[in-house]
Amino acid sequence: MDTTEKKDDLPLGTPPAFARMHTIIRRACYVLLFGLVIEGALTFPLLAAWYGVPTLTPAEVCDELQKVMYSDDSRTCETADLRSPPLGGPGEAQHQTTAQDEWGVQPKPLYPRIGFRELVRNKEEREARERECAAEGPDHPSCNPGT
Amino acid sequence: MTTTDDTAAAADLGGIGLDDHVERSRQAQRAADRWLIGGTILMGTAILGIVGLPLFLRGLVLQRRAQLAGLSVRPIIVTLIGYMVMLDGALNTFGWAIDLLASHTYASRIFLPTWGNMFDAGYFWHYNNLPVGGAGAPGEKAWEVLGIFVVFPMRIAACIGFLQMKRWGHQWMIVTCWTGMLMWVGYVANMTVYADLRFTSVVFPVVGWWVYDIFYITPFVALPYLHTVNREIFSD
Repeated sequence: MDTTEKKDDLPLGTPPAFARMHTIIRRACYVLLFGLVIEGALTFPLLAAWYGVPTLTPAEVCDELQKVMYSDDSRTCETADLRSPPLGGPGEAQHQTTAQDEWGVQPKPLYPRIGFRELVRNKEEREARERECAAEGPDHPSCNPGT
Repeated sequence: MTTTDDTAAAADLGGIGLDDHVERSRQAQRAADRWLIGGTILMGTAILGIVGLPLFLRGLVLQRRAQLAGLSVRPIIVTLIGYMVMLDGALNTFGWAIDLLASHTYASRIFLPTWGNMFDAGYFWHYNNLPVGGAGAPGEKAWEVLGIFVVFPMRIAACIGFLQMKRWGHQWMIVTCWTGMLMWVGYVANMTVYADLRFTSVVFPVVGWWVYDIFYITPFVALPYLHTVNREIFSD
């Protein structure tokens, strides 16, 4: 009778031999559930804070990322019409040759790591350079920061 | 003549007939599922997960109460595994579907390369440069096609059958959880081979990726349960 009572305490479908394992799995599921939810909720705020929102708008973050991605201050983040990949049209930045990569069987990007709110500083510095260039004329070094 | 077993059964049912018991069980399960489904949908959006979690937990509480009241409802662990594996499929589908099919929309262009720059440069390096757009890391598109068109639709269907306590749901849950194992191992191997590309200059490389993705292992955690549960509880 004791055995029967014990068996009745178990959840439906759980054999006595696996009761402990099923309990562990149930608890692991709770941990994963809370982990997934907390992570899902925090990802967007973390990304926003790190990359400079609200000082930069999300669209400006996208612009700044393009400039880092291709090491080209003139790159911007633009939407494309319907005739864009995967539905046709040329690949984005198809003829862009400014990206700094070590090409080979294991390509390695050479763009810098983006630090906390570094995109805000990148934008401010670039705009300062542009103002200086406009004031000093096209021969000023600020007009050709890469050289 | 009434046997001891009959008396016990009548007591368990609180003195109600079998039809009433079945009906009350069905209603209790439905009430719990309403909260569980609502919570899961919100958790599936990621950003509203904090709102969805209390609704989901409320559903679990309702189900546990029904179970303690002697009603024939789904075991808590089946509920947890079913909804968690479905959530896993939904979250993965969301990210990969916009990368594969909507890579040139503003939302994708803002979110995916930003996320990629933080955790996995496969979603940042030459983003949208491929003729099909989206992530440019070698092999990544193949995983997306496999995931979106085969694994995750199958997974969500399996979860629905599993939550309905159907035999096919249990069987397909085993299939989809093993498929998850194949995808995870293949994916991690692919990432490791191209680690130079994927983790160079990333804000939180390797460890960051693992911390982010480790919560997606529910299908593997579920496997030992699926292989040891008494399959007679799943009906044809």
